[in-house]
Amino acid sequence: MQENWAAEHLQVIRTLMERSAVYRRALAPLMTFAGVVGTAAAAIAWQQRIDSPRPFVLYWSIVSLVALAGAFVLVRRQAIRAGEVVWSPPMRRIGQALLPGLFVGAVAGGVVWFLGGVLMLPAIWASIYGCALHAAGFFMPRGIRLFGGCFVVAGAVLILGIAAERIDWAPPNLVMGFFFGLIHLAYGIYLYFTEQRRNPL
Amino acid sequence: MSLLAATPQLSFTEMRDTLAMTDGNITAHVRTLHEAGYVSVTKEFKQGRQLTSYSITREGRKAFSAYIDLLEKIVEQTRKKE
Repeated sequence: MQENWAAEHLQVIRTLMERSAVYRRALAPLMTFAGVVGTAAAAIAWQQRIDSPRPFVLYWSIVSLVALAGAFVLVRRQAIRAGEVVWSPPMRRIGQALLPGLFVGAVAGGVVWFLGGVLMLPAIWASIYGCALHAAGFFMPRGIRLFGGCFVVAGAVLILGIAAERIDWAPPNLVMGFFFGLIHLAYGIYLYFTEQRRNPL
Repeated sequence: MSLLAATPQLSFTEMRDTLAMTDGNITAHVRTLHEAGYVSVTKEFKQGRQLTSYSITREGRKAFSAYIDLLEKIVEQTRKKE
């Protein structure tokens, strides 16, 4: 009897310690915001024919900064509303997990800026972004890791398809709109209906 | 204590939401732990709102570790008997 109680108690302690390190802000508004920005940006870029390497890299870098800034404002608002600090330990861990991926993404953008090859860039960005999300997912609800994994796989398939010339129609702006717009939007809407207050015990 | 042992600092609302307890319950528990010297309380004002956060003290961590050791010993001893 006593050993059962002790083992159960240890299990509860372990669960609570794991939960305290998990990011708790609502993700639905962030994903929806990113999705709207991505979709709108892709539509504008498609219409304006922003296809050549330098304008493409510059344009999407600005869009990503806008999306990041907007996401930060949403997170900050949630934190203030809940009476919590913005840079909580889980938030810092997520930032650290995302940073290497974002850095490599910026380097890939720099390479295309100087050497060209814009066709491949959206797929590379999607894969790297997926890696970053997957890493951050270890400190977030489990769905994010799956979401990141889908980006990695889809991006990798696209890279292989373009490299092997099996995919001959992949307009960069539409690919960006699909990955960073529509998928985020769909996931954001899904989260609005499924994300709920957690009760760890 | 389990929550605070795994993270440097936690706010009141984070603790309340994670444990799914009422404000009064949390306050009562934290007060007891604070009086025992296991938990330190920080209150600050940010943008006109009071922000209360908690962290585990050295004493608290020591007591928590001792408690975990005790639980592990109980489980271990029972396994040996089997």
